[in-house]
Amino acid sequence: MAYLNVPIDVRTDDEIRACLEDSDATLAVCQLLRSRCDSSPAVVTQEASFAYRWIADKGTAVGVFDEKDYFLGELALIVANANRQLGHLTEAERWINKAEAGFRHTVNPAPLLASSAFVRLAVRYAATDFEDVLELLPSVISSFERFGMQRELAKGRFLHAAVLNETGRTDEAIATLKQLRTSPVVVAEKPFLGRVLASLGHHCSSKGDFSEAMRFYNEALLPLQEAGLSAVVAEIKWGVGDAYRAQKQPARAVTAYREAIQDFRELGLVGTVSLLHLVIAELLLEVGSHREAEWEILAALPTIDEERMVPAGVAALALLKESVQQRKTDSRALGELRQHLQAGK
Amino acid sequence: MEISDDSQNLASSEQLFEREIEAVFSETLGLIHIALVSHYQLSEQEATELEKDLFVWFRRFCFRPGASVRSNRPYLLVACCQFAREYQKYLVGTGVRTTDERLRGILDREPNDVAHDFARSLQLYDFRRSDA
Repeated sequence: MAYLNVPIDVRTDDEIRACLEDSDATLAVCQLLRSRCDSSPAVVTQEASFAYRWIADKGTAVGVFDEKDYFLGELALIVANANRQLGHLTEAERWINKAEAGFRHTVNPAPLLASSAFVRLAVRYAATDFEDVLELLPSVISSFERFGMQRELAKGRFLHAAVLNETGRTDEAIATLKQLRTSPVVVAEKPFLGRVLASLGHHCSSKGDFSEAMRFYNEALLPLQEAGLSAVVAEIKWGVGDAYRAQKQPARAVTAYREAIQDFRELGLVGTVSLLHLVIAELLLEVGSHREAEWEILAALPTIDEERMVPAGVAALALLKESVQQRKTDSRALGELRQHLQAGK
Repeated sequence: MEISDDSQNLASSEQLFEREIEAVFSETLGLIHIALVSHYQLSEQEATELEKDLFVWFRRFCFRPGASVRSNRPYLLVACCQFAREYQKYLVGTGVRTTDERLRGILDREPNDVAHDFARSLQLYDFRRSDA
C-alpha cells in the first residue's frame, strides 16, 4: 500500500489526508497493520499511533456516522497489541483504554469491547496474572460465542490453553490445542495454525518427547515462514534450542538460540534478546565456558538496565553485575534474574 | 499466472459476502425510504442521497467483527435515523427549513428509539418471509 511505503517523516499532508480521510483506505491500513503486528510490532506501533493521533487531532472529515470513533478504537487496539508484543505492558494498557473510549461511541459496541477485553487479558497473561486471566477469560469467550466471532473465539481458546499450561493443567492445555489444530478457522489462518503447532511442540519438548516436538516445530515452520518472519518463528528456534539442551547437545542448542536472537533483534524485541543471552550464559556455565558466559551476560545487561526490565529482580541483577566484574559469575543470581525476565515475558 | 484454489475460494467468499450486503440493504431500503421521507420529512432527492451514504457506511460496517450481515439490519436503521435527524436538525437550525409539530416530535426522540420501532416492522417482514 503506497501510504505505508512512504516513511512517516517524509509523508506529506496531502498524502496523509488522501489516505486517512478515505474510510476504505483507512480500513485497509487497519487490516494491514493488524496482520503485521507479529512480524514488525515496532513499526506497527509507530504507524498506528501516528494514524490515531492524526485522526483524533485533524481528522474532521474522517468517515461517516460512527466511523471516526470506530477507527480511533481500532487503531488504538492495534497499538495496544503491538506494545504487548514488544513487552511494553503499561503502554499497552493505556492504549486499550483509548480503544474502549472509541468503541463505546460506535453503533454496535459490544463485539468491539469484547475484543478489547480480550487484548487486556492477553496483557494480563504477559504480566503473569494467570489467576485473573483464568477467572475472566470464560466471560470473554462466551461473548465471542454469542456474537459469532469465530476467529476471536479460536484466539480466546488459544489463550485459555496457554494459561491452563501456566497453571499446571498441561493435559487440558494440550487437548485444547489439539482441537484448535483441526478447527477450520485456524487451518484457514496460516500464522495462527503455526502458532498452535509451535505450542504443541513446546509441550512435547517439556515432556521430553523431543522427536514429536521437532515434528510439530517443522510442521509449524511451513505455514509461518510463508507469512514472513514473526515472533513465533523465533520462539520455535528457541524451543529447538531448549530441546537440544535437554538432549545434552549444547553446541547445537547455542546455534539455535543464536538464530532466535537474530530473529528477535530484527523484530525489535530487545527484551527477549537480553533474556536469550542469559539463557545461553547459563548453558555455557553448565559446560564450563565461563569466559563466554560472561560475554553473553555483558551483552544482556545494558538493555536490562535501560529498559528497567526487572523491578522485582534488582537484587539478583546487582549480585550478577558484581560477580561478573570480579570474573566469578554467580550462577544462582544469573538463574534468578533469568527467571524474573522470563516471568515478565 | 496461476491462481491457487485458496485465492479463488477467498474471492468467491468475498463476492458472496458483498452480494449478501447488497441483498440485505435492498430488502431494508423500502423501510429506510419510508423513515426518511414520511417520518423525517426529507424530499425524495435528499432521501436518495442519504441512502447512498447509508449504503457506503453499511458496507464497511459489515466488515467489522461481531455480527452477520442480516443481524446488522437493526444497526442500519439506527444509522438511518441518526443521519436523517442530524441532517434535518442542521437545516432547521440554520433556518433553511421550518418545522411542524410532527417533525419536531421525531427530531426530539432518540434515533435509537425511533429505529427500535422501525425494527419491529423488520421483524414482521422476516415473519412474512419465513411464512412464505
